[in-house]
Amino acid sequence: MSNNVIVAQQIEDIPFENIRSVKGEMIISEDFPSYLVDESKISGGYAEYLFFPNTEEEIVSLIKKMKEEELMITISAARTGIVGSAVPFGGAVLSLERMDGVIGLGYDEDAEKWFLRVQPAISLDEINHIVKLKKLELDQSIPQEGNWIQKFEEEHTHYYPVDPTEMTASIGGTIGANASGARSFKYGATREWIKRIRVIIGTGEVLVIPRGKYKAIDGKFIIKTSNGDYELKLPTYKMPRAKNAAGLYTKPDMDLIDLFIGSEGVFGAISEADVWLKEHTPQMSNVAFFKNENDALDFVIKLRTSEKIKPEFIEFFEDHALALLRNEQKEDPKFVDMPIIDEDITTAISFDLPYSEETLNEYFSEISNMLEESNSSLSNTWSAYEDREIARIKHFRHAVPEIVNNIIAERKKEYPEIHKLGTDMSVEDKHLKEIMKFYYDTLKEVGLEYVMWGHIGDNHVHVNILPRNINDLELGKQIYKKFAKKAVQFGGSVSAEHGIGKIKHEYLKIMYGEEGVLQMREIKFSLDPNCVFNCGNIFGRGDK
Amino acid sequence: MRIIILVKQVPEADKVAVDPETGTLIREGVASILNPYCEYALDQAAKLKKDYPELNIKITAISMGPPQAKIALLRCLELGADKAYLLSDRKFAGSDVWATSTAIKEGIVGLEPEFDLILAGKQAIDGDTAQVPAETAEQLGVPQITYGVDVIINDKRVEVKRETETGYQILSTKMPALVTMSKGSNIRRIPSMQDVLEARKKPLEVVSADDLNIADSKIGLSASPTQVDKIFAPPSKSGGQIIESSDPKAAARKLFDYLKENKFLRV
Repeated sequence: MSNNVIVAQQIEDIPFENIRSVKGEMIISEDFPSYLVDESKISGGYAEYLFFPNTEEEIVSLIKKMKEEELMITISAARTGIVGSAVPFGGAVLSLERMDGVIGLGYDEDAEKWFLRVQPAISLDEINHIVKLKKLELDQSIPQEGNWIQKFEEEHTHYYPVDPTEMTASIGGTIGANASGARSFKYGATREWIKRIRVIIGTGEVLVIPRGKYKAIDGKFIIKTSNGDYELKLPTYKMPRAKNAAGLYTKPDMDLIDLFIGSEGVFGAISEADVWLKEHTPQMSNVAFFKNENDALDFVIKLRTSEKIKPEFIEFFEDHALALLRNEQKEDPKFVDMPIIDEDITTAISFDLPYSEETLNEYFSEISNMLEESNSSLSNTWSAYEDREIARIKHFRHAVPEIVNNIIAERKKEYPEIHKLGTDMSVEDKHLKEIMKFYYDTLKEVGLEYVMWGHIGDNHVHVNILPRNINDLELGKQIYKKFAKKAVQFGGSVSAEHGIGKIKHEYLKIMYGEEGVLQMREIKFSLDPNCVFNCGNIFGRGDK
Repeated sequence: MRIIILVKQVPEADKVAVDPETGTLIREGVASILNPYCEYALDQAAKLKKDYPELNIKITAISMGPPQAKIALLRCLELGADKAYLLSDRKFAGSDVWATSTAIKEGIVGLEPEFDLILAGKQAIDGDTAQVPAETAEQLGVPQITYGVDVIINDKRVEVKRETETGYQILSTKMPALVTMSKGSNIRRIPSMQDVLEARKKPLEVVSADDLNIADSKIGLSASPTQVDKIFAPPSKSGGQIIESSDPKAAARKLFDYLKENKFLRV
């Protein structure tokens, strides 16, 4: 029976002095500067303490100490996030990097699925490496008497299917962000792959939350702690019917674990997670080329509504992106490492399909029909199914963002303030063509330089505005807001996968209004009244 | 005109490590690929087919290997080969370069005897011996040109631009002949979905030693005059020293002193 009351478990702490730490703003900024930034590249981060705990006991001990000193804690692992969630503005950095191992492996007989129990800072790459090569010891079976390690040896290759592109990301970070990526088109975001977590909350106690055990009743959870009972009232806003990573997850009868997934660490530090594994099935990567973008969008719509085929993902590259690739091909052909893309091509659509020799004919004939109806063909579509060739197409997909980053880096030399403005908005399926038209019309009207690519299967295209000067940057910011408003109108999200972090607060307000953000704050401060954890993420710092 | 390409499936060599304790290759999780030099040979064949439509060129890919090497041959069929044969038999196991070239020669004689040109990679990236194509040419009694980077057909002759340590040579020989390729175009090709589909309609036959009537005494471990004694990773070198100084004179002095002290300079 599920219920909405959870009892926090107490953990013995250890002497604070035993924790590996660095104290002093100066030393940290001089000798440990990488702990003050993440991939958002936002500047100005600083911290008075830097901790490298090995165990939950050590985390509990440092929480107590930080509360005594009235310092807040910013959780840090791989720092691959791009909204500044791991950037500290004062207080302590809790680097979980030493807690990066695999605890064990088990099989859930009810769900008929394998799961891996890991520490928070293990990278997604490392999880896949260990699972694929089955690098597990016999005593890592969960439970021991299940002898699951031996049984897993005989299984087909498994893996963890969440692929947010940056596979050096930590599992803890990706749970905090509810990370997704291209493949969430088929497999869903991180949320779908988390079976159980342990979270250390502001009281210095641990919540053990298996999926399915704690469900909200009347929009409420009760958390019993040594400090008394905390009542958590869930926000009442409606979540968009589109890919979404903005703000807290809420549903009237939701599972408690979902409140923590995607919460950007504002409720506590994840100290352990059980993640589901999936059997690896061979894939085939394809890139189809079109002379007309409208044809390409028609193909996307046909492909994602096909009853026969469910692609792993559908990715989009518009004219400007292809122009950048072509240009790069002239200058440094090895960088793109692909045959020259014809001049009359305006759009490319990349999609992965399940690969098996048995279904190949059937799938190809289906795809062929869709392509022909969209004025393209199988001959205009690259195809790869060997590991090395699939990696090559993956590299191709990632080449455009890299080229764009290089362009911006070059422009920064003249205008240090400028940065790329990359949107992260999704809309409902039915609004795909409308939002694309809105993007183009708006951008053309103001004459900004831009490049588009992204997860078109989820109506989640990244519009990248490339400012040439400060005026462009300011104009770009206004356009960004316009796009955010339109995406919300079209039933979408202002942040489909990057999260809110410290830099997108204003867009969250566009999406959920003042009231919605206030409700999020309330639930945060009901559980963490001293704002111990990740203050400044999702809502403003110091707002109580 | 008939062109044969000789190909080999190899582990992706830059991902293979040698276990320093046992001297064996660590192939866990390493994918198998078409040897890159063999792909250059295939590219050259496809280019000739395109450049000389009047010759009605047919390309046959031949490989020796375990059943899974069919994947490498499928890639050849996707990228322009018209048919493919895989010589696969437990009896071939343990063959060294000589026994391998014997099997390949028998394969060519039995399956595609009317060939005009054989193109092969200069070497495989796993064994790196570069001997199989040369020995195959010898066993067939045809002329060979190694380390080609470009090939043109001139009536009954083949003209090859050949890479040497100091530059290029242009060599020509009458066909039939064997040419090994050391370089291809800068960017590897990629098949289209149409190519993938059509490749599966082309003939790909697996052929055994018995199919080719090869005597057991000529192939496999017992017919191999050479054997690999040991594979080992070269001892890793320690990192060099970097002389850091903002003053070039002082840096030069440091370097000079170092060379002198260690008796690299006689001054």
